[in-house]
Amino acid sequence: MVPWYHSIITKLTVAFIILILVIAGLSVFYTFGATKTALKETTRDELVALASVVATQIDGDVLASLQPGDEDTPGFIKIRDQLYVMQSSNSEILYLYTMRKTDEGFVFVVDGEYGIADDAAGIGELYETPTDEMETGFTAPVAEKEYMTDQWGTVISGYAPVKNADGVVTGIVGVDMSAERVIERQDFIGSIIYLIMLIGIGITAVIIGIISKTMIRDIRALNDSAEKISTGDTNVLVTVVRNDEIGELASSFSRMVSSLKIMMMDEEP
Amino acid sequence: MSEISEKVLALTVQVLGPASRRFLERQTRFHLDGLEFDDLEKEHIPELSKWVGISARLIVDDKQAAMLAEMIKKV
Repeated sequence: MVPWYHSIITKLTVAFIILILVIAGLSVFYTFGATKTALKETTRDELVALASVVATQIDGDVLASLQPGDEDTPGFIKIRDQLYVMQSSNSEILYLYTMRKTDEGFVFVVDGEYGIADDAAGIGELYETPTDEMETGFTAPVAEKEYMTDQWGTVISGYAPVKNADGVVTGIVGVDMSAERVIERQDFIGSIIYLIMLIGIGITAVIIGIISKTMIRDIRALNDSAEKISTGDTNVLVTVVRNDEIGELASSFSRMVSSLKIMMMDEEP
Repeated sequence: MSEISEKVLALTVQVLGPASRRFLERQTRFHLDGLEFDDLEKEHIPELSKWVGISARLIVDDKQAAMLAEMIKKV
């Protein structure tokens, strides 16, 4: 009896499982990478669309007129409420705010959570870590290419210009989406891909097991016959019937056994 | 060797291997009144087929023996 670690069934199963793991691994690596990129692009498109819609709702003239200390004015409160309502109505949005450029850099004008959240920015509060996309947002809707981490957390942001009645850009709308949400989506898709891979490996292992089992059964039958003949017992019938190479081997072996029997019969007194 | 002998031998080799000639010679000598296998003619086929079907069972399984007998019968 061949030890299990030398058995063809073990070798076949291990070889196929390694093959499946390599193929599945490469597929997952590529699919997951492509999915992550596509998901991020979709999120960026959503951010651009959201920022563009919100920007059209804001009065650019009122936005331009707001100065530090105007937080209690009707103009500020109206824009803040608009932003807050839109932010509250879309669970994807984490923060919604407006900004403008000054000599000092990018400053907040209206934060959608001003007066509601403790960490909301007031008019004129400097944004410490401006990006190139923020600058681009003053000319056309745009979204950040990567996640950004600042004092409010890790987010991906989109921007769109706010124009006054004359079509002059007076600020930008910023829309922040939590990175966690995007990562959650990526993890979900990743889990689905891994699940499909595991199911595939399971099904393949079962199929390989069944094929290997029938192969090994027939090889063992041939081996048993050969062993009997080698000990002088010619009362052997080869009953293996297959259409593959093992079947051919069985037929050849059967003819050999038959001829041996015929010759031995002739020698009998 | 007659044409019939050659055909029968070719068919039998497929089942019983290289010693088929010896097997067939034995069948003709013992069961066809001492006939030499090389002199086999069409008229001998039914009887030969019958005895091949019987004798081959001692060498291969019943199914193969019956199949060989049937093949010879159709020669």
